[in-house]
Amino acid sequence: MAIVEFKDVSRVYRNGDHEQRALDHVNLSLEEGKFIVVLGPSGAGKSTLLNMLGGLDNPTEGTIVVNGKDISTLTPNELAEYRAASVGFVFQSYNLIPTLTVIENVALVKEIAPDPLSSHDMLRAVGLEDHIHQFPSELSGGEQQRVSIARALAKNPHILLCDEPTGALDSETGVMVLKLLLSMARDMGKTIIIVTHNQNIAKMADVVIRVKNGKIKSCEEQENPLSVEEVDW
Amino acid sequence: MLLRKLFRTLWQYKAQFISMVIMVALGVGVFLGFNVEWYSLEVNTKEIYDATGFADYRIYSDKGFSPEDLDAVKAIEGVEDATRFLSLNVSVKDDTDTLALTVSGNMNVSGVLVMQGEPYSAEDPDGFWLSDSYAAANGISVGDPLTLSYQTITVSGTVKGLVKSSEYLICLPDSTQMMPDYSSYGFVYISPAMLDRSIPVLYKAMIGSLYHQINVKSSLDKAAFVEAADKALGSTRLILSKDETVSWAEAQGEVNEGKTMASILPVLFLAIAILTMVTTMHRICASEKTQIGTFKALGFKDRRILVHYSAYALIIGLLGTILGIGIGYGLGWFIMNPDGAMATYIDMPSWTLRAPGFTWLVLIGINAFLMFIGFLSVRKMLQGTAADALRPYSPKRMKHLRFEETKRFKRLGFGTKWNLRDCVRHKARSLMTLFGIVGCMVLLVGGLGMKDTMDAFLDVFYEKAINYTTRVNLDTDNMTPEEGKKLAESLDGDWAASRAIQIGDRGYSLEIYSITRDKVRFADEDMKMIPLTDDGVYICSRIAREYHLKKGDELSFSPYDSSEHYTVPVAGVLDSMTEGIVMTDTFADKTGIDYTVGSVFTDAAEIPEDARILNRQSKQSIMDSFDVFMDLMNKMIWLLVIAAVILGIVVLYNLGVMSYTERYREMATLKVVGFKDSKIGRLLISQNLWLTVLGILIGIPVGVGVLQYLLTALASEYELKLVLGLPTWLVSILLTFGVSLAVGLMVARKNRHIDMVAALKTAE
Repeated sequence: MAIVEFKDVSRVYRNGDHEQRALDHVNLSLEEGKFIVVLGPSGAGKSTLLNMLGGLDNPTEGTIVVNGKDISTLTPNELAEYRAASVGFVFQSYNLIPTLTVIENVALVKEIAPDPLSSHDMLRAVGLEDHIHQFPSELSGGEQQRVSIARALAKNPHILLCDEPTGALDSETGVMVLKLLLSMARDMGKTIIIVTHNQNIAKMADVVIRVKNGKIKSCEEQENPLSVEEVDW
Repeated sequence: MLLRKLFRTLWQYKAQFISMVIMVALGVGVFLGFNVEWYSLEVNTKEIYDATGFADYRIYSDKGFSPEDLDAVKAIEGVEDATRFLSLNVSVKDDTDTLALTVSGNMNVSGVLVMQGEPYSAEDPDGFWLSDSYAAANGISVGDPLTLSYQTITVSGTVKGLVKSSEYLICLPDSTQMMPDYSSYGFVYISPAMLDRSIPVLYKAMIGSLYHQINVKSSLDKAAFVEAADKALGSTRLILSKDETVSWAEAQGEVNEGKTMASILPVLFLAIAILTMVTTMHRICASEKTQIGTFKALGFKDRRILVHYSAYALIIGLLGTILGIGIGYGLGWFIMNPDGAMATYIDMPSWTLRAPGFTWLVLIGINAFLMFIGFLSVRKMLQGTAADALRPYSPKRMKHLRFEETKRFKRLGFGTKWNLRDCVRHKARSLMTLFGIVGCMVLLVGGLGMKDTMDAFLDVFYEKAINYTTRVNLDTDNMTPEEGKKLAESLDGDWAASRAIQIGDRGYSLEIYSITRDKVRFADEDMKMIPLTDDGVYICSRIAREYHLKKGDELSFSPYDSSEHYTVPVAGVLDSMTEGIVMTDTFADKTGIDYTVGSVFTDAAEIPEDARILNRQSKQSIMDSFDVFMDLMNKMIWLLVIAAVILGIVVLYNLGVMSYTERYREMATLKVVGFKDSKIGRLLISQNLWLTVLGILIGIPVGVGVLQYLLTALASEYELKLVLGLPTWLVSILLTFGVSLAVGLMVARKNRHIDMVAALKTAE
């Protein structure tokens, strides 16, 4: 069953007379519980695609349907509710609140998510149960990224959107984070969508989408994705 | 190229830039304004003192002074000049107005400054040199006829000049009046020749006794002068130095009041301006750190980068100072201009605004200091290698706070924890916000509290203490003590007698009251009405302070022109409008002090025509004279309230924008996670509101303290007791809270425009 559908979606940025088409009539259908990787060079439109899906931006044309609901016409408040309930974000630069401890960063989603999971359970799942009272600045990059994943998961979202989640990490830590994300798809049935430059990550994916010049160049299902250990990092 | 960058960066940070310019302008404006006020007053009054030969000493005698007495005084070593001086309240014929008829035998001392008309002539037989302010208020011009009457004597002539005199710089008929009212009271000078012509032949021999004063210019100190004068005149006289006269004491009081104001309020504004500059310059430099690093990496020398960024502070300082100079002179002009309330109070010929020399040095110092703040902020960002400078500025690492271990903290919501830690993390910003709110509160409590205090003061002295409709002043020179009492009885009034006395070497007035009809009341130090008892003398709180006296102590005084000395018990301390002592007629009789009834306080509808009645004043006319005084006070209070609101808005908006910028990324994160704009806005505002509540709690005692300090500084002029009414509390708190909430909402509205994508892409 398709959890995400892009129907003829375009996003045009205008700056005076200059017009930039970041997404150009994109059509896409993604199934639930898959580990999906979006590949493409810089400026291809992959982050724009992720932002549209995450309700951070509205399309100029077309409709985006998530879980049967059209999110392309939602008001800012409705989009906030959508983000709170349906999607989790993991960014390259973690984006944790520096003045909240690890547990508080995760627990803050309880303020808005309709069906949140236990913060302690999520931190245990990412292996940070011993660091819950530390501030983000007291953790390594990999640990901070795992907090960010725990926070995204604590909302109990249908979809986890990850924008270059390993971009700021060394390869060893990156592998650990990817393993974690993969297990979320395999064990918890979450739909994981990762935007990246890294071709190697694509080898683990159930679906690989290639984007170029704002268009979907290809969308391929992989019959036998590799495990994290099998990928040559 | 760098110059272009300079202006573009200024535009980029326009909110901070404009608020810093406003803060500096306000600081400089208030600092300069108050200093311009007192200094201009000092310089301008000095000009009229010099121009009209304001006397350093006044020797008084009930019997008057002869030309021989004058010669004896002139012969004292150290006396530069002297004059026999006459000042007598006379009536304007066919009018209820009173003029102080003045004759000075030697116009080099206690003379006049002719503003219009002929120069004064000592030989002129029929010329009046009339107060120009009285003339203006009554439509009198040079050349108009004027007739004055005193008892049976009539003096007629023509107005030949319109003048000002330092002897009547503050032209009050008596001590019950606070503000001059030129529509009904003024002064007029005539020549000795005209005085001589006007006195009927029969009384010619008495002319000498009309000169009750010898006014003297001398650089001797008071003790030396009193000793020499007593020796020269052969008896002890009441001698008052210039600082014991209304014209000098009140004008100097205004100068000192201005100095006091200039030492408190501007300091508050300047301190806030400088602290705002410190936090804002630091923030701008922190935002610019990667650019500063880029310049360094490109090969720009540190010195050039330092100069470039320090120039921001210099531009802010200079613009703020230029604007502030305008505000300062505007404020000075607002307080003292020829059409303003101060000009009604002090009758000066010139109202030129002058700033004391040190203010310019302070302004240069402020600009240098502001530039130094900019310099230090940039230098901090330039430290280390070019690679270090290129790294974005990172705020301090978070540490656990001691109170986080408490159970109560753990139970707090995330928003509360977020805001609490943010306040601690950005201490300077939080403290500045607090400082701004405290400042706003202090100005409101101070300004509105001053009004409450003055209102309560006027209420006690004019509504409660004056329980009569008319005060009738009697001619004590032509009446026996018994006649006065009978006249008071016929008017069904209470009465008072006045005597000049000396305590130590200072002159005061002794008021003797007979109160059987509750027409006059007295307030104690707590401003509560008390009855006078017959077992001692009541002293005003200024005398109590000056001579360290309290109830039960003994006070010694001697009436002037008398060799008697009295030592009497102090029966109480009064809060009083005038500086002096009070006793009942029973106690005066018991002590053996002579007196003649001088005033009757009555509700009688009809006051009969009687040659012994000098003039009459209605309670309303006394109270009306305060309107002008209160008008000045109200203007000052409005200024303070406006300044408080501007201060609050500018400081809070600047810091709110700073807080918003610093937490932009965190708010973008919250927004991405799914927080609604309204919820993020509430989080932002709640921090502001906490600080506002804290600021109000601190501001209340600080405001009361500042007000008390001001009242103490004014204690030599007014015996004011601090009063703060409920409306003042409510207005101060609600206005401060309202300003904070309004600014918080303005900043919170910006949430809607957070670019989540761009914010989260940037490196931590």
